[in-house]
Amino acid sequence: MASPPDSDAALIARAVVQDDRHAFAELVRRHQSTVRACLRKLTAGNHALADDLAQETFVLAWRNLKSFRQEARFSTWLYRIATNCWLADARKRKEELLGDAGGDGDDESMAAALGEATPDHARGAALKMDLERAMAALSEGERAAIVQCYHNDLSHEEASYVLGMPVGTVKTHILRGKQKLKIALAAWAPQT
Amino acid sequence: MNTHTTPDPREADDWLEQALRSDAREHRDGYVDDAGFTARVMAALPAAMEIVPRWRRPAVAAIWAAAAAGMAVALPGVALDIGREAYRLLAAQPLSLAQVGVTLAVLGIGTWAAAAWTLQRD
Repeated sequence: MASPPDSDAALIARAVVQDDRHAFAELVRRHQSTVRACLRKLTAGNHALADDLAQETFVLAWRNLKSFRQEARFSTWLYRIATNCWLADARKRKEELLGDAGGDGDDESMAAALGEATPDHARGAALKMDLERAMAALSEGERAAIVQCYHNDLSHEEASYVLGMPVGTVKTHILRGKQKLKIALAAWAPQT
Repeated sequence: MNTHTTPDPREADDWLEQALRSDAREHRDGYVDDAGFTARVMAALPAAMEIVPRWRRPAVAAIWAAAAAGMAVALPGVALDIGREAYRLLAAQPLSLAQVGVTLAVLGIGTWAAAAWTLQRD
């Protein structure tokens, strides 16, 4: 009979105490999908950059594993490192990012392009693309707060830990981000 | 020009909330295939550090102390001669107070830096 899989805590203990790289590899295997998906969302779908940042995240996690005090879930701790890596990288690329975000005037919304007589699935896909584009235009803090609370399903308190900011600021970022999304996606709003 | 009529704010909120939740659900349901990612991470990890047993450092210090004590006992005159010669050499140097101060400061900084480095490594 196969033995139950080791818990994250047991694998962390083996990695720290015995310098067990196999245990750490198991942790990477377990969490790579969520970390990479989160970074793909934060980098607005740039898979290559997201994977580079995910690799950096796990290397940093390995180096700092001793300092992980289990005050949060291991996955939440990884999100925190991943978000910090993304923020540091975004700061380096700030000028490029601002340039990209400024070009919205040329982009025609999919809603306008699709018109009225469009099947639901096509409208859904188009809305998803518009939403992704609108998310990319948000500030780093707004985007990170929305991704942590909606996409990673974290509570405001957990998002506050991940983002290293007070709960009130997280809520403000979400509120402002949603207001901007509402404006950017106005063409999708229901008509009365 | 915006041709849309102003929507009910609560309805607009519901609609945006729904779009965000649907996108988030899709995001969580998706699985990113490993495709060699774990192997790349493991290859990028820093090389394993040599694990030093806890007892090794005090043991080495004790051996050195024993060797020094043994030398001092076996050759009582030599230690005294070395001390006397060192003093004579130092006393012969025209050292100013500032030079002595700088030397002591350098020695202090060196000692503290070595201690800090050792503690950090542990």
